[in-house]
Amino acid sequence: MTGPLVSIIIPTFNRRLYLPYALGSAVRQDYENIEIFVVNDGGEDVSDIVSSFDDPRIIFINREENRGKSYSLNQALAKATGKYVCYLDDDDIYYSNHVSTLVGVLESNPDYHVAYSDLYKVYCRILPDGSRQVLSKVVEVSRDFNRYFMFYFNHCLHISLMHRRDLLEKTGLYNENLNILIDWDIARRFAFFTDFYHVEDITAEFYSPLEDDSRISIKGRKDLGEYKKNVLAIRKTRPTKPWYKTKDLSIIFDTDEVCGNSINTIGQVVGHTFYPYMLYIPMPAHRWTQMNSNFANMVNVDVAEQTSRLEKIDKALNECEGEYVVILPNGFSITDLWVEKATYALDNSCENECFELEDSSEYCFAVAARKEDFIKARNQFPEYSLRDSLNAAGLTVKKVDEMTSPFEFDSYVHLAIQKEEEGDWKKAIEIYEYLAKSSQNQLWIKTCIVKACFEAGYYDAAIKFSEELNNKRPTVNTLLRHAKICRKMNDYSGAIELLRKAEQILEGKELIWM
Amino acid sequence: MDVVKNEESNDSTQRYEVLMELGDCHATVGRYEPARQYYNKAASMSPDEAGPYVGLGVVALHENNLDDADIAFRVAYRLNNSCSKAFAGMAMIHQQRGDYRGAFDLYLKCMELDPDNLTALLGLFQASCQMGTFSKIIHYLELYLKMHSADVSVMFSLSALYMKEGRLEDSKNLLLNAVALDPSNQDAVNLLEEIEHKISQDMQLEVNI
Repeated sequence: MTGPLVSIIIPTFNRRLYLPYALGSAVRQDYENIEIFVVNDGGEDVSDIVSSFDDPRIIFINREENRGKSYSLNQALAKATGKYVCYLDDDDIYYSNHVSTLVGVLESNPDYHVAYSDLYKVYCRILPDGSRQVLSKVVEVSRDFNRYFMFYFNHCLHISLMHRRDLLEKTGLYNENLNILIDWDIARRFAFFTDFYHVEDITAEFYSPLEDDSRISIKGRKDLGEYKKNVLAIRKTRPTKPWYKTKDLSIIFDTDEVCGNSINTIGQVVGHTFYPYMLYIPMPAHRWTQMNSNFANMVNVDVAEQTSRLEKIDKALNECEGEYVVILPNGFSITDLWVEKATYALDNSCENECFELEDSSEYCFAVAARKEDFIKARNQFPEYSLRDSLNAAGLTVKKVDEMTSPFEFDSYVHLAIQKEEEGDWKKAIEIYEYLAKSSQNQLWIKTCIVKACFEAGYYDAAIKFSEELNNKRPTVNTLLRHAKICRKMNDYSGAIELLRKAEQILEGKELIWM
Repeated sequence: MDVVKNEESNDSTQRYEVLMELGDCHATVGRYEPARQYYNKAASMSPDEAGPYVGLGVVALHENNLDDADIAFRVAYRLNNSCSKAFAGMAMIHQQRGDYRGAFDLYLKCMELDPDNLTALLGLFQASCQMGTFSKIIHYLELYLKMHSADVSVMFSLSALYMKEGRLEDSKNLLLNAVALDPSNQDAVNLLEEIEHKISQDMQLEVNI
């Protein structure tokens, strides 16, 4: 197959036993135009392993000093020349079609600069000789791309990701100050600039040994303080503008003082906001300096001492840079999704619409609007209250309702799971069928429907959906469930055939070279 | 705030489950050698699980190899002393060896652990017949019927026991239900006729007295 050059980067640290499998899976790609960077991050010598492949496409960076994964990735990226880049950990493997699958979709869909596939998470037991006994292969995450979800948390695993190398010119390289979640950090930054193309094929495996506490990613997660610090550091990251796929949000804090209650409000904003934002605080500059605040993403809007409340807001409104603006009154109740529901409503709204936040009231008016609408209203009616000026300018002020949420899909799945736990499988099926009408996460929903139909005893429906599912993308779990349905219907030879397929996947028959 | 993952769970027992299913399917269709191979694989995958040994015991029973079956069920019991299927398996061996009292006790233990176990229930019934004692099993049949109210074969067995105990009205009511559920069940129809005849005879006798 001919096509653009792809750079595969494999950082490695003290995993001599597994590196040959990882590197072997990269070398054996059915897409040949690749360069493979193996970066030894100061671990035990692996030069013999690398040279044993005798493949001119491998570029070995043998560093003696341990500098961490981000540093290793950046070191390879500095030398990479591929149009596209993908990543492989030293204990994981690609299937032979991984690169060709992702290059194929990116070349066919040039508006997408990132693509990702699905993976098996392989639960395994480490045997005394260090080899891995496979216990399960599960597709733990298979979500269609959702920008809000990506801002909240990662749903594209690092080794499943391929991106254009020039995207890094906009996002910057890997953050070497992070200890964990570096993959989410980079994927989140990608999301400011491009949509991600989700390929539902399973093209790789990542290994998760039971009771292995030595992994950096696991150790980092166990230290909750450190973990939260990393999450907040990632969420406050704002790549350089212009952002092509994300509207910037300016939050204007309507307060007289920054002390006590208002400091608490600012802390709540930092803790509960995952949508990218800047917080603008209109107050005299000398008082701002006295505050010596360490909060990230805060900007002082310098105003004179006697400036009125509305004048302060208007000044901040003119200085702020976001396409969306939220006016946050002091004392406003901040909870999860407090502002994301409003930005999501704005994303899906018509012109001349703005949104009063869920907990807003007559006396504590919090509103989200497009900046140009807000400025137009304030310029036309500066003497009016905020609400009156918006109304007078012809804007429709709608209230964000309870059901408006970027995570509506998850809310419904939660509800269905709750019904399953109550044994109300019929209701769960109804919810899944409702979700199936949307265009999102079709395989996932179909899997849920099969499970619910099976548990409810609707075997005819279960077998119909199960066949559709396994024709499209069989996994160990979908084959196993299908086999159980066949057993219930006394079709034992059908069950055996399905179970044999599941067994072959578990035994890695497609990885015969290993 | 919590957002959900895909439906496939954090599952470390999937391979074991596939092997057990393969063993069970092969055993059901009478392919005992592959069934045995899959149970052995499952046992090596999860050495602490009783399930594969129950499977091996069932296969040995089908092959009439009582000694191997006995060993397998005992291993299953040792791994999990509340494994109802191990008790049922050991009971079957006792029954086949003619030790009806031993079989009866083991079936009872199985039913205590799993009142839903039809094999044990029917075994209990058979062992009772073989010993000529029925009173103890009525309770278990009633319990089972509470959970499986449409099981005609158990209805029939229980109504027969009621009849032997002289509880003719209970027996008749149960048989009426059984026939309503399965009008083609000739055994139930015949027994119902017999009981109705007996009831009318008894009534006639009372009138004459």
